[in-house]
Amino acid sequence: MKVMKAGWKHGLGLGAAMAAALASHVLTAPSVIAQIHARADAALERAGGRGVDARFTTVLGLYTRHPRLETDRVLTGDERTRLAAEVAHQRGVGGVRWASAPGLAEARASPALSPDHCQKDVEGLLHVRTIRFDEGSARIDPASLSLIDEVAEALRPCAGSRIAISGHTDPVGDEAANVALSLRRAEAVRGQLVRRGLAPQQLVAKGLGSAEPVEGLLPSDPANRRIEFSVLSTAPVRPTPIDLPVSQ
Amino acid sequence: MPLIAETMLLGLLAYAVGLGIGWAIWGRNVR
Repeated sequence: MKVMKAGWKHGLGLGAAMAAALASHVLTAPSVIAQIHARADAALERAGGRGVDARFTTVLGLYTRHPRLETDRVLTGDERTRLAAEVAHQRGVGGVRWASAPGLAEARASPALSPDHCQKDVEGLLHVRTIRFDEGSARIDPASLSLIDEVAEALRPCAGSRIAISGHTDPVGDEAANVALSLRRAEAVRGQLVRRGLAPQQLVAKGLGSAEPVEGLLPSDPANRRIEFSVLSTAPVRPTPIDLPVSQ
Repeated sequence: MPLIAETMLLGLLAYAVGLGIGWAIWGRNVR
């Protein structure tokens, strides 16, 4: 191409462009960064980020539009995200990073989960559908296995709580046999849940026979043949503080 | 990325754009 013969002109042009870029940086960067820094500091003040510093320099000490936020305060992950978003929103600011991991912050942040939520989740599931067994046996109907999958998922976040699986029958027949059958059914459900990864120590199977019919129903109602879940005791769900690696 | 690097890349971009415009205006008349 003819243009290649005059290649030295390109070198000259490129060199001129680079020199102009360098000169503009040297002349304007300090004041530009100072303005962005001021906006970021103002944003942090408004957003409640006292004690948070936005450093607009790289590790090598060069100017940058992308600040690193540092603080000595203990802040939760949500607060850190919120403050970073406030700074990033300012005109001229690029990508915002936190200089180090939260550390102890997470321990104070999470609200204690209500101990009932596991029970309510499962009751909600079982309200409309039941775990079916074959007549007079403890074999779970294969069609109920997907329901057991859902129950396992509902119980999975309840780690640390002890959960009772109680089997109930209707009053037909010998009560001792009913108690034994209900216990075998509860244990069958327990086995299926353990197979899906729930902790065996967490689950207790009980057989109550026809001793506790559903409130508001006649004891002879077949809906009394059921499995019920109840939470016996709960474990605290606040996470424990751990040392998190510092990310640079 | 440090500001100096961003500025230099902008300079490169400006050069490339200028090159393209220059070619469009003068370069296409080459016999």
